[in-house]
Amino acid sequence: MLLPGFYDFCCRVRIVSGQNALEKIPAMLKKMKAHTPLIVTDKGVVGAGLVDVVRAAVAGELKLSNVYDNVPVDSDYKIVDEAAKIYRQKNCDSIIAIGGGSVIDTAKGANIVASLGGDTLLDYEGFSAVKRKLNPLVVIPTTAGTGSEMTLVAVIADPDRKIKMLFVSYFVLPDLAVLDPRMTKTLPDFLTASTAMDAMTHACEAYYCLEKNPLSDSFALRAIRIVSENLLKVIKNPADMEGRLALANASTMAGASFSNSMVGLVHNLGHTIGAICHVPHGTAMSILLPYGLEYNMHRCGEVIGEILLPLAGSEVYAKTKKEERPGKVVEFIRKMNNYLHEATGGRHPRYLKEIVDKNGAQVVTESLLPAIAEATMQDGARMANPEEFLPPDAMLVLEHAWEGKPLDLGKVNKGGKKIKY
Amino acid sequence: MNINKYPQIRPGKKLSKRVYVAIMLWTVGKAIQVAAKVDKEVKEELARLPNNFTLRMMVAPEKAFPLFFYAKTLPAFVVDKGLLFYGIQMLLHKDKEGKIKYLGADPKGKKVDLNIVFKNIEAAWLVLSFQESTATAYMHDRFVVEGDLVHSLTFVRVLDIVEVFLLPKIIAKLAVKRYPKWSEMSPLRKFVKRVVIYIRAYTF
Repeated sequence: MLLPGFYDFCCRVRIVSGQNALEKIPAMLKKMKAHTPLIVTDKGVVGAGLVDVVRAAVAGELKLSNVYDNVPVDSDYKIVDEAAKIYRQKNCDSIIAIGGGSVIDTAKGANIVASLGGDTLLDYEGFSAVKRKLNPLVVIPTTAGTGSEMTLVAVIADPDRKIKMLFVSYFVLPDLAVLDPRMTKTLPDFLTASTAMDAMTHACEAYYCLEKNPLSDSFALRAIRIVSENLLKVIKNPADMEGRLALANASTMAGASFSNSMVGLVHNLGHTIGAICHVPHGTAMSILLPYGLEYNMHRCGEVIGEILLPLAGSEVYAKTKKEERPGKVVEFIRKMNNYLHEATGGRHPRYLKEIVDKNGAQVVTESLLPAIAEATMQDGARMANPEEFLPPDAMLVLEHAWEGKPLDLGKVNKGGKKIKY
Repeated sequence: MNINKYPQIRPGKKLSKRVYVAIMLWTVGKAIQVAAKVDKEVKEELARLPNNFTLRMMVAPEKAFPLFFYAKTLPAFVVDKGLLFYGIQMLLHKDKEGKIKYLGADPKGKKVDLNIVFKNIEAAWLVLSFQESTATAYMHDRFVVEGDLVHSLTFVRVLDIVEVFLLPKIIAKLAVKRYPKWSEMSPLRKFVKRVVIYIRAYTF
């Protein structure tokens, strides 16, 4: 691919990254004519003292007294509506989201309802339903993986229909993303691992899915390289602040990349497993990424092979024959997952059957797989996958991912030519 | 140069493309109506849509079909009142009992739940002349979806199946992401349904 026939790239989030980035927030909010922000966060973030870190950083210049900390792991539209209600009650004029993907998406949703009016987020579902500029939104990620600070989509669950809804518009993009290593310093190793693998998945899928373009590619390749070089170092030494800042940057780059090139079957399955079994997004991503690469290999193997360079370095890339590179990419990612599994004392699952809840009970049981496969048809990510992905195909991938076996490439339905991007 | 004598530039009407797209939309609409009756897979896919649901597929802008002057020369089925007044479009309705019906091209008085809008006639031409697959068109922003995204995914899947029924393999391969293998769709099913859909679409 030199240039695709058409592409669309938009990345207008201001990014502030550095050891003291939080201190810049008051001045930047002032420039956006915002003075009374609502903090949207979750109880875990408050408990870890991260809201206090932000408060201390902006002390004297900005008062952060309005806090909504009721966001659950898998946020739904009712939570969004509640946050918007509080925004109006407290007469706020902007939102600061402090947290991971769920918090950021909730803040995006709340910003839609608070800015545009109405009682419920459901009125704005779909593509381009948000048609004008929203109130200022500042995002401070506390995990290095979601990339949600750079995306034009808010993914919010509908518990009644058991699906994840997409709210897509350029106006949903936050105004400012603040990357400060203090915010990810206390992140436990298994969460650091799964969120970084989430960023890796964003970058890989952005690189081989149908809407890839030269700009998203450059973000994706750099993000893959940074995760590959820093993740294992940070897991070994959690106090490595440079490494943590690097991972936060990789996550943001991967976010910018996939926001403009979309994602495929890994996210399709990941969203569905998340909606049905409440599996954390990063965990599902790290497990399914090798399967996504394997499943699409016959359609875009050459492009997948190119990932080996940032992933494993120039020496491995040069030593590996061109036709063996896609396989090597999959092998390398499986090795990373195995290493992370050992380094986190088994808290980074490698297969779907290894995912357990707090009581040690299996979260994704084998009996749920057909329902998950069927529900993949209702997720928008299937559109951008290079190969067609129907329920029988999803079942094939799920069975292998559940057992932890490499995908049997002979069983993958092949009926199309190599992809021309 | 006398600016008053400067000729006014009029946009091209692209009549042949408009007629082709209008016929294709009509064919697709009728074919989906028939396929929903005769094919189990299409029926199952459409079951995902709620009852009392109206879908519209159209070419922007509305009221853009310059057919008034040509109306008399065209076959009766193309000269739909809706086409003349509201532009190129087709409406499909799923009623209270779950039956799918093609409603022609007149949206007046109908509540549209899902609106799939090709941004212009060229975009519709690229897709409906199979120069671009549905997935590629989606990636290239050829159309806008207004309404529940999940329902548009169902429609795209139905469109893919119907295209496989209607078109010879060499063309259908351009329109869908993966042409179904024999294990996914038997040749017997494909050819029998193709004949049935064509006959019923053009006769009833």
